[in-house]
Amino acid sequence: MALKRSVISAGLAAAGMLVIAQGFWIPIKAIAAQAFLNYAWVETLERGAPQKPWPWADTWPVARLTFDALGESLIVLEGANGAALAFGPGRMINSVYPNNPNTVIAGHRDTHFADLKAVKVGQLLTYQASDGSVQSFEVIDTRIVHETQTGVLEPTTEPTLTLITCYPFDAIAPGGPLRYVVRAQLDVPDYSLSSSARLARVFKEALEMSSRAQF
Amino acid sequence: MPWLSCLRCVFVCAIAVFSVVLAPFSFAATASILGEPVNAANTKAGTLLVRAEDDLVLRAVPMLGTEVDIEVAGIVARTGVTQYFHNPTDLWLEGVYVFPLPENAAVDTLEVRIGDRLIVGEIKERSEAKKIYEKAKAEGKKAALLEQERANIFTTSVAGIPPGSTVGVRIEYQRELLFRDGFFSLRFPMVVAPRYIPGDAQATSGGFGFAPDTDQVPDGSRITPRVAAPSDKILNPVKIKATINAGMTITAQSPSHLIGIDKNQDRVLITLADGVVPADRDFVLRWQPVIDQGPAMALFKERFADEDYALLMMIPPQAEAGNTQPLAREVIFVLDRSGSMAGRSFSQAKAALILALKQLRPEDAFNLIAFSSDARQLFSESMPATDANIDNALEGIARLNAEGGTEMHYALSLALENQQPTEKVRQVVFITDGAVGNEAMLFDFIKNHLGQSRLFTVGIGSAPNSHFMTDAALLGKGTYTYIGNLSEVKRQMTALFRRLESPLLTDIKIDVNGAPVETYPEHIADLYAGEPLVVLLKGKDLDQDIVVRGATGTNHWTQKVRLKNGHAHEGIARLYARRKVAAIERSLYGLADATSWREKQKAIKSEIIATGLQYQIVTKHTSLVAVEQESTVPFGENLKPWAAPINLPAGWEYGLDQSGPDTDALSQDLYYEDAAIGDATLMRASKVFAHQEHVDSSAMSVADFSSAPATVAAVTESTDWCSRYPASFACVDEKTKKDQKGGASKTQTSPPSAMQIAMGQILPRTATPAQMLLIIGMLLLITAAVIRKKKLLKWR
Repeated sequence: MALKRSVISAGLAAAGMLVIAQGFWIPIKAIAAQAFLNYAWVETLERGAPQKPWPWADTWPVARLTFDALGESLIVLEGANGAALAFGPGRMINSVYPNNPNTVIAGHRDTHFADLKAVKVGQLLTYQASDGSVQSFEVIDTRIVHETQTGVLEPTTEPTLTLITCYPFDAIAPGGPLRYVVRAQLDVPDYSLSSSARLARVFKEALEMSSRAQF
Repeated sequence: MPWLSCLRCVFVCAIAVFSVVLAPFSFAATASILGEPVNAANTKAGTLLVRAEDDLVLRAVPMLGTEVDIEVAGIVARTGVTQYFHNPTDLWLEGVYVFPLPENAAVDTLEVRIGDRLIVGEIKERSEAKKIYEKAKAEGKKAALLEQERANIFTTSVAGIPPGSTVGVRIEYQRELLFRDGFFSLRFPMVVAPRYIPGDAQATSGGFGFAPDTDQVPDGSRITPRVAAPSDKILNPVKIKATINAGMTITAQSPSHLIGIDKNQDRVLITLADGVVPADRDFVLRWQPVIDQGPAMALFKERFADEDYALLMMIPPQAEAGNTQPLAREVIFVLDRSGSMAGRSFSQAKAALILALKQLRPEDAFNLIAFSSDARQLFSESMPATDANIDNALEGIARLNAEGGTEMHYALSLALENQQPTEKVRQVVFITDGAVGNEAMLFDFIKNHLGQSRLFTVGIGSAPNSHFMTDAALLGKGTYTYIGNLSEVKRQMTALFRRLESPLLTDIKIDVNGAPVETYPEHIADLYAGEPLVVLLKGKDLDQDIVVRGATGTNHWTQKVRLKNGHAHEGIARLYARRKVAAIERSLYGLADATSWREKQKAIKSEIIATGLQYQIVTKHTSLVAVEQESTVPFGENLKPWAAPINLPAGWEYGLDQSGPDTDALSQDLYYEDAAIGDATLMRASKVFAHQEHVDSSAMSVADFSSAPATVAAVTESTDWCSRYPASFACVDEKTKKDQKGGASKTQTSPPSAMQIAMGQILPRTATPAQMLLIIGMLLLITAAVIRKKKLLKWR
């Protein structure tokens, strides 16, 4: 009986250690991965083509996101799936500016995007795309939404950065239904795109104006 | 068993500690490669930053800023460039600034603004203008001089900039818009990229540049302004404002800069989104008209000194693709691998070249020439475009890196001399940034040695030498293509391939009835796909009808133009004059060996002077000079000369050796032969390229947004948040609050699946179980301890 107890005790202790190690491993991995991703990012910028951070990775750096006010910088990965999010914030596929002016980036609330709670309206975010171009975005709103409210993913008129993380920030168990959303717009007044149809009409008229009575 | 797990724990922890310890070093490594961390306030749009080591001393230095306003009406753009020379020192200065303008810009105005005073410049013969300027300087008068060094390089000199003040120099020019591949575009260059000056240095030096005057480039020191070390500060800031009077609201785009657009009733105002940008790349603005099946045309007229001038732009019918069997070709690719191409330019060039190689058909033949201080070719003669040969070329390309001089002459001689008679169409695709100073010599060579070949220039980088690109293509009876950044490679190369198929419209002639009409260009070059016909005309009274004829394959094409119907527009006469001067200059090429060359040169010079004076424009031999009436510089004060330093063009690598030509002997070795074939390298090249193609195709759909679905534009321009994001975000915020109050969500009963996340039905899940794991682990340990403690108690 006594022997059995000692075995159970040792087993529980070992399991406990293992679980704790895993608990520590997650944030450590999150921090260490960003360091390795920095290498891949530098490569990406130099070569102008996506670079995998390690050979077996199924994601790659697509942008560098800097929180100007916090002085913090993160490498954003392609895809907002669990595998990518463990290493860095992920850009949701199909939300690539400028095809879709609304770039959506998701990150873990307790690692990379833990500081999202400190982001205030009016602060600036800097977004460096993989072609090296740098754009400045101004935070215009922070909100709490339910996970089913996918409106934040929809295309916008102005180039927009939408950062998503889980809410509340200090909840212990993962998988809650609420999300914290930070929205930032390109720091440019009156920037807009127009439809091709409108363009077409405009230029047809412009050309006609310049050469009326030719036809 | 437990210690096995423990061992694993230790192992995991060790890796973790190692990673944490390593992390700062990896950041440090990153920093040393990238230089200063990117700062949004002063670096926009992809400026390459490298820390300047020597810029530690803070002191007031003269500065230069430029303000540009572009006014587009119809197909002509009039541009005002104001250069502000700011002098915070306590010395009187003479400022000198070497800057680019678009080639064929007809510059007609120079104004100097000092405080509220305005001095207006006059056109004089260049040597006379220089004398007037030097005399004014000696007499203590403020003066300004604008000289043309190349078709696209100018120098402003300003004498008598007072201490602690700013002098503004305003230059105005006009230029017709470019129209290609269905886009209107205008290009405003901002920086004279450092150029390679071949030849032997001469004792004299006429300018402030980093290169000496040489026997091949006698004005080398005038066209090579000193490049400042890259730094965090914006050097030579430029502010651009463009107004497009299109009759109604339109939208434009810029592949080079972020722009802001302000729409008005009948015009569109375009400004730089960043406010100011460093002068380190060409500003390109482009917008799209509609081309129907039939030809479109625009005609503008001006009456100048009792004569009529007209600018005619026509878009010939675009042939239907694929109805004729294209001819077999012999394509000679020439790749500039000089030091100026290092960095982003070279990856663009390689990508373009690889894309081009893959377009070759089996019946084509090709060869590859790479040049820097010398020129080498891949095969001793053109080889069939078999897979093996193309793989060989791809592998060779992967090995190339960019360094050394730019001895373009060697490359041209390899490409054009000793042409074998062939049934095939011989095309030379010349990929370069054109950063050389001996353009005239190269033009001369092309004109003499072209033979049956056609020369197609591909301009690479942020600030290519557009004068070289356009004139080399014109003399080479081909056409030019610009690639400003990697995302444009595919789009522009696709356009080039279309042009390589064959000229669309050949044997173009203008038939005039009645009174004689002078036209420039005199002999109209063949038009390639996507190119318009641009002609400038001059006549006593341009009111008759003319007929433009051409051949499209086997068909004939004619179009009647009623000159009477042109719209009045200022500046057409000067555009005509600029075209005429360019034509006169070109008439000298190909004659360098002739005995009559010197006389011919003299005749051409006086012809250019006469044209410049008649139409009051700046040419290579006529300058604008502005002089103050009274002397204002204190007596005995010596002007300290200050040559404005320039930025390194965006994407260039700092510290390249541009000092002089490499003395390496010209060799025509087969430079790949000794290299062992490495499959790994080849695979890597094609793999990287596959990525690029992927990236490019996404970029292309944006650039060519006419074909992209107009999802964005459909949204109304309301400023109301809720209507802009209907049924989403802010508008459902209240609902969320209610949900929070009510505790758990009512809408979501079952946990969302990964599928829902992937399909965008719910927002991504973004929390890790790290904390939970820690707590569970602690609980397990406590339980274990409790059990063990009980056991211990019992044993005692």
